[in-house]
Amino acid sequence: MEDASMIAGWITPGREQTAAGEEGFRRLYEATSRPLWGYLQHASGRPDVADDLLQETYCKFLLSKAPAMDEARTRSYLFRIATNLLHNRSRSRDDSAIEEPAECGAESDEDARLDVRAMMRQLKPRERELLWLAYVEGMSHAEIAAATGLGAMSIRILLYRARQKASGFLHPQRIKS
Amino acid sequence: MKRISCEHETDVIRALRSGEWTTELRLHVAECLDCSQALHLAEALGEEARRAEIHCNPPDPYWILQRSRRMAREIAMRRMTRLLAVMRALAAVYVVAAAVWLLRGYAALQYREVASAMHGSASMFALMGAMVAAAFVVVGLWPILRQSGERG
Repeated sequence: MEDASMIAGWITPGREQTAAGEEGFRRLYEATSRPLWGYLQHASGRPDVADDLLQETYCKFLLSKAPAMDEARTRSYLFRIATNLLHNRSRSRDDSAIEEPAECGAESDEDARLDVRAMMRQLKPRERELLWLAYVEGMSHAEIAAATGLGAMSIRILLYRARQKASGFLHPQRIKS
Repeated sequence: MKRISCEHETDVIRALRSGEWTTELRLHVAECLDCSQALHLAEALGEEARRAEIHCNPPDPYWILQRSRRMAREIAMRRMTRLLAVMRALAAVYVVAAAVWLLRGYAALQYREVASAMHGSASMFALMGAMVAAAFVVVGLWPILRQSGERG
């Protein structure tokens, strides 16, 4: 314990510990926390997971030694951290109950089919991530590639498939025709 | 080659987000299945995102800052304690090696041979031992001096 208290005294303050850094972080947090939470909630399918990962995303961002970035890059970087945390979580924990698609027939009525949340539950996590980043966050294919760690060339086809699948759940009659 | 998706899809999504639609783009969406599908999906997801944001109640950034500082201290502490543990292990190995060397080497020599041995090849071993000890001391002091320099 003596070592621990001694070492704690050596640690230099981080960049967020200055008043300007704190104010900058507050502004960034105000601008990005809600969209990021929405992404985490819809990609994971769970609000409690979104709450946890949101905090963890910002902590990792503050601890990272990334160089100064503009607003767009910072936003993209935050989504990248969040996506990595989602993947780490799905690898290390049993979230199969959330990720399993709902049983066929359970979404038989028209209202349920039109429900976006029901549609999202039918999709794989990767598909949910791609759709959200492309259609809600309006990211380009290159930005999605950076955020998900996928190849830029494969984004186009994966997004196309995800969109086809999602539209099939929203409008099955249109896809069949 | 099979077409995967429409090249105007990105423009459609951008127009939906900014609200700046051109007549050509509107006409294109009306005719293009890919773009109309993308537009409908983007509208549905956008509505869902707006609904979710109403229910979102993110914690105060103060708590995030506090947590990140705590994490930074924990990480630094783990790193430093690991380094100290390595230094202690090296020191223990050094002490044991030195003890064995003294017991098996010098203890077996006669008193007169000790003095003469210091002038020969044994002095080289002694010098090497001193250098190794000095290196350990420098390695051990380096992080402490660096931290002091950063704080100063």
